[in-house]
Amino acid sequence: MGLFVLRRVGVMILTALCLTFVVFYLTNLDPNLEKLAKTQGNARMSDEQVQTWLSNRGYDRPDYIKYGEWLGVLPGYVIEGADGDIRGRCLRAGVTAEDAPRFCGILQGDWGFSTVFKEDVSKIVMIRLSQTAKLMGMVMLVMVPSALIIGVLAGMREGSRLDRTLSTASIVTTATPEYVSGVLFITIFASSAVGLKWFNGSATSAMENMTFVNFTLPVMTVALYGMGYIARMTRASMTEVMTAQYIRTARLKGVSFRNIVIKHALRNALIAPFTVIMLQFPWLLNGVVIVETLFNFKGFGWTLVQAAGNNDIEMLLGVSVVSVFVVLTTQLISDIGYVFLNPRIRIS
Amino acid sequence: MDNLTWTGSLGTLLNPALLLAAGLFAIAIVLQILTSLVVEPYRAQTLPDGRLSRRGGAIGLIERAPQYLLWALILIVLGYLVGGMIAPYGKAGIIGAISKQLTPVWLALLATYVVSIRYKRRLGLYGKLFDSTVGMIGFGIVMFWVYTAFFSSVGGMIATHDPLSQVSGLKNKLPGTAVPNATDFAMGAHYLLGGDNLARDVFSRMVLGSWEVVKIAPLATMFAFMVGITLGVPAGYYGGKLDTVLSFLANLILAFPVILLFYLLVTPEIVMTGIPSYMAAVLFVFPVLFALVLLNARFRTDPTKRNLIVGVVIGAMAWAYLSLISQPGTVMAFLPAALDLYNIPPGILVVFVSVVFVNSPTVFRIVRGLTLDLSTRDYVAAAQTRGEGPWYIMLWEILPNARGPLIVDFCLRIGYTTILLGTLGFFGLGLPPESPDWGSTINEGRKLLSIYPHPALPPALALLSLVLGLNLLADGLREESLRD
Amino acid sequence: MTHFNSALHPAAYMYAEEERAGKLSRREFMTRATALGLTATAAYGLLGLKAPAAAAGAQMGGTMRIQQNVVAMKDPRTFDWSYLGNVARCWLEYLVEINSDGSMRGMLLEGWEANEDATQYTLHVRPGVTWNNGDAFNADNVVWILNYWCDKAVEGNSMAGRMSSLIDAETGMAREGAIVKLDDMTVQLNLPASDITVMVGMADYPAAVVHPSHDPENMVAQSLGTGPYKLESLEVGVKAVLVRNEGHTWWGHSAEGIGGAYLDRIEFVDYGTDPAAWMAAIESDEVDMLYENVGEFLDIASAIGWEQSDVTTGATLVFRFNQKTEVDGMAPYADVRVRQALSQAVNNGVVLELGYSGRGTEADNHHVAPVHPEYADIGRPTFDPSGTKALLDEAGMGDYEFELITLDDDFNRNSGDAVAAQIRDAGANIKRTIMPGSTFWNDWDKFPFSATEWNHRPLGVQVLALAYRSGEAWNEAAYSNPEFDALLAKAMSLADADARREVMADLETLFRNDAVIIQPFWRKLYRHFRPGVVGAAMHPSFEIHAYKLGFSA
Repeated sequence: MGLFVLRRVGVMILTALCLTFVVFYLTNLDPNLEKLAKTQGNARMSDEQVQTWLSNRGYDRPDYIKYGEWLGVLPGYVIEGADGDIRGRCLRAGVTAEDAPRFCGILQGDWGFSTVFKEDVSKIVMIRLSQTAKLMGMVMLVMVPSALIIGVLAGMREGSRLDRTLSTASIVTTATPEYVSGVLFITIFASSAVGLKWFNGSATSAMENMTFVNFTLPVMTVALYGMGYIARMTRASMTEVMTAQYIRTARLKGVSFRNIVIKHALRNALIAPFTVIMLQFPWLLNGVVIVETLFNFKGFGWTLVQAAGNNDIEMLLGVSVVSVFVVLTTQLISDIGYVFLNPRIRIS
Repeated sequence: MDNLTWTGSLGTLLNPALLLAAGLFAIAIVLQILTSLVVEPYRAQTLPDGRLSRRGGAIGLIERAPQYLLWALILIVLGYLVGGMIAPYGKAGIIGAISKQLTPVWLALLATYVVSIRYKRRLGLYGKLFDSTVGMIGFGIVMFWVYTAFFSSVGGMIATHDPLSQVSGLKNKLPGTAVPNATDFAMGAHYLLGGDNLARDVFSRMVLGSWEVVKIAPLATMFAFMVGITLGVPAGYYGGKLDTVLSFLANLILAFPVILLFYLLVTPEIVMTGIPSYMAAVLFVFPVLFALVLLNARFRTDPTKRNLIVGVVIGAMAWAYLSLISQPGTVMAFLPAALDLYNIPPGILVVFVSVVFVNSPTVFRIVRGLTLDLSTRDYVAAAQTRGEGPWYIMLWEILPNARGPLIVDFCLRIGYTTILLGTLGFFGLGLPPESPDWGSTINEGRKLLSIYPHPALPPALALLSLVLGLNLLADGLREESLRD
Repeated sequence: MTHFNSALHPAAYMYAEEERAGKLSRREFMTRATALGLTATAAYGLLGLKAPAAAAGAQMGGTMRIQQNVVAMKDPRTFDWSYLGNVARCWLEYLVEINSDGSMRGMLLEGWEANEDATQYTLHVRPGVTWNNGDAFNADNVVWILNYWCDKAVEGNSMAGRMSSLIDAETGMAREGAIVKLDDMTVQLNLPASDITVMVGMADYPAAVVHPSHDPENMVAQSLGTGPYKLESLEVGVKAVLVRNEGHTWWGHSAEGIGGAYLDRIEFVDYGTDPAAWMAAIESDEVDMLYENVGEFLDIASAIGWEQSDVTTGATLVFRFNQKTEVDGMAPYADVRVRQALSQAVNNGVVLELGYSGRGTEADNHHVAPVHPEYADIGRPTFDPSGTKALLDEAGMGDYEFELITLDDDFNRNSGDAVAAQIRDAGANIKRTIMPGSTFWNDWDKFPFSATEWNHRPLGVQVLALAYRSGEAWNEAAYSNPEFDALLAKAMSLADADARREVMADLETLFRNDAVIIQPFWRKLYRHFRPGVVGAAMHPSFEIHAYKLGFSA
């Protein structure tokens, strides 16, 4: 078991390295650097000005050196620019060239500086991630129990009218992308046009003060799309369990239907959905981007869009590291959890 | 020129009937679910005369009522559609006019169903689809959109207006508004589903939008499958280093947040560097490789025949491939114009490549898993003892046996790709902004949703129904393929 | 306000005559008369009117939440967004300000006067102003800031363009003797030729007055200025929070006719560029006023019960051809026939209707607005779509695929679609590209055919000088015509609007015959705010004067 986890962690680090290098390479392509220079300097720079801007800040050196600096395995650059200013990777406001550390990369705990947000990447990531965590937490809280209930209810009597209705409903929810359902919800529940005005169509105030009124719609929008999938998995797993030999035996012994479902079937039926639920985390991380945009909720997904739109290199790298970490950790937990829940499986 | 109402004179009779039936149906469904929670399911028994017994009494009625009411509902809806087709233009309102416009689609659907149900026993898995109600409904919805897309774009039939032309005075006008200057009371005299924010016809845009989806989504999914299969089968069959490397790569791509990937790939800057062109060159070579290996494995024993078939097929595919990736104005512009069969607009190519790129790893994983499972079967061992080559076993023994789950996943994945295309439209990436594709139209329409819902709702419902149809179709196929 | 110039400037009387004769709009009269050193009250007096009463009293205290994009702060002279000015205006102040009615008044200057031919200006510094670090504000600060603005070598310093008559072309710095400190409270500007735009330039949003110890890298933390507020936090793309600067005595409280600074706290909240999100913010009760409102959303906001404030302006959307940008090795718009062919395919009225819901007035492709004093009516541009194809064929571009690129923004994109559709109807082959802001702003000045949003400027010649003079930084049409430059220089030296109008007629005709731009409409600008908000009236340059904001008592 220990070895298994160790190997997975190794793979995780390797994946993170490869992935960040790909992001690094793509964001450091010439046209992207030019875009960066123009958004940071000014939009009317000439090509020569762009070149000086980039070389003053060390962007014109080979990718692997810059990547090494970002990682913290190579010393950060110190460049005396054409304009006489000394700039360095490790030089921040208020730090002189003499005091600055030689290395400042991920390994030293320095995630770099976001060119869009004018803040340390680690700080932005922490703030935004905590906002998204709030959203994700609420979504999970709503989505998982209701999906399990729907799945179990549908799966306990396969082919019944209840099953048909619930299954159709779950298919409909999986067929409704967030940008359709979100838009519908805002119109129906938040706009003056329909006039219900039960909830807020904007979740900006939820960043500071989360209430039922301002957080219901975003949570519902994300939860609905994910719910159908989990419910269908639960239903499939439940129907399979319900036809199993031991359930049939229990029925023949005269155990009541309610007891069969609750005491015998449920535990075994929930193993498969557990894996699915864990794998929903990375999807949530991406899927919330739409909802965050739609409801103007400034979380991790929003940060990603801003950073990508402005070619904020170090911010994007930070975002990638976090995403890889989330994806692979949830995979690992899902694998380990599967073993714990299902005693028949042993990892060699 | 008068504006159209929703149902015209047909509505005076049918509207109350529809309301009544729908209301009763809803009540009946709720009642039935409630009773099914308390009452044990009834087991039908064969009566002495061979018929099945039915439950009598109030509970029996509650169980059967929804069925009757459903039939009544279907009949009324058919009444609207058929009435609209037959009645002269305008008499049956907007719904009638739309139904009339869709006449070719209805006929094609009818023909498809008649022929398919007639010969369903000879049509393999496709025929079996017609044994499942869910599958049939799903297939119907999907084919509805396929035919609509086909007739409206290739046939130039269904749309009443040009999807890009703007008619002054029809900005955000409600469904059924008459076009100024229209004199004849005929097709094109009205904006059937109203005008959008730029005074374009919503109905025509929705109808032609289906073509954007139908031409990109299945094709992109197919390429993803080609890539996934060509890499997944050997990875699962051989295992070892090859498997480790390929699986690692697949997981790498899957660990990427999809949106980030799109932002990195679908920007003008990246297009400038030519990376999408190189990616296209790599990804699109897989179908050619696949066909080459497939045919070679089959006809290996007969070199003359093989050379002929492989030569012709691969030659044609290679030409198509080269035309596809050669694009004037990009890094890949090597084919002289005379030899270049077609050029894809660069925007669409980028979207296409990206969609294939993000879908392939998932397909790869599914194929690899299936292959791992199937390669332990007896018939594989038998083929190995017969001395068949590994590629023959992979492509002609294993693959056909994995088709069930793959077809099901294919249907689901088309739906997923449709949603993905919409997501791209939502973020303003990819397809040209004027394009009537559903994602962009929804995103554009959502801004004014609270005062003018009519431009956004038709594409939203269209997208929803197509994805729903694909899901139902996949469900039906899964059910039927499990019975094999 | 003390009025230094007891004898009113002679030109002011002339303007008043013109206003009465209907040659000059009220707004223009106010701008021009106050630019010559008159107070608003005196200017209204010349017209025989009483100055409008100041805004109804607001109560002290409260938090105002304003929907506005929050962008990263930078050196004020390099500001490129009105957003920056609005945030900075809370702690940095301006020498003069232009109000919604077009009148100008002194802020850090108490007053100023011009000599007869507008070649010499005398600026009087307001006494009693202090920086929030305790330093007194005096003539040295004014001289310093004027020199700071005149530094042409600084990348993106747009103030240099506004102060061009103070700058020595050779050194790229302020000309010797142009800025003279007369005493501790008086500064004199000496111009080589008459320039009527200098004072107006000092009111524009990049003209925020900073302290000589100003550090552009550290503005947010320093928050060093003369204004009543200080910056508490600024999160790019999210929120900027300003709070009352408790330790600082703001001069405005005691100055006559200024007053205000009612609020305790001002929050600028970023809702992106999608107006649907602004409406959601209104309906969710998350903001108290909008920065701007557009298109169909006006009806929505009014229906919600918010108050609408509008102003007719010279703000516009210009579809310009870049005459130099090359596509595949050739510049498609270098040929005037191509430009003419495309512009005569477009009916400006249709673009106004479809692109801006008719909320403005039709423009005539020469970028001088009827609200400008020197406007000469040269009639509507040629509209002849039937001739487009022939003209293109003649230029050898009949089969060329043009591309119109615009920002993905409500009226930019709608107007662009309307223009492209008309060009297509005229038989030309055109492709439409819409880009999100992040990509668009990257290359926007080099796009061969694209739309540029222009803000209102008080004078017609100002825009022409800024946007179409050869070699100007903001000349993204890459238009260069010596004849135009000469005519423009001539117009800019004429203080008299009538005399100038004659030159303008030639100038406009020349400009339009060169088919530099397609300019469909002049925009009316709108803003919505919650009932009970005072001091939030829409400003022609989108300015928000924080010290005027408050909630009615």
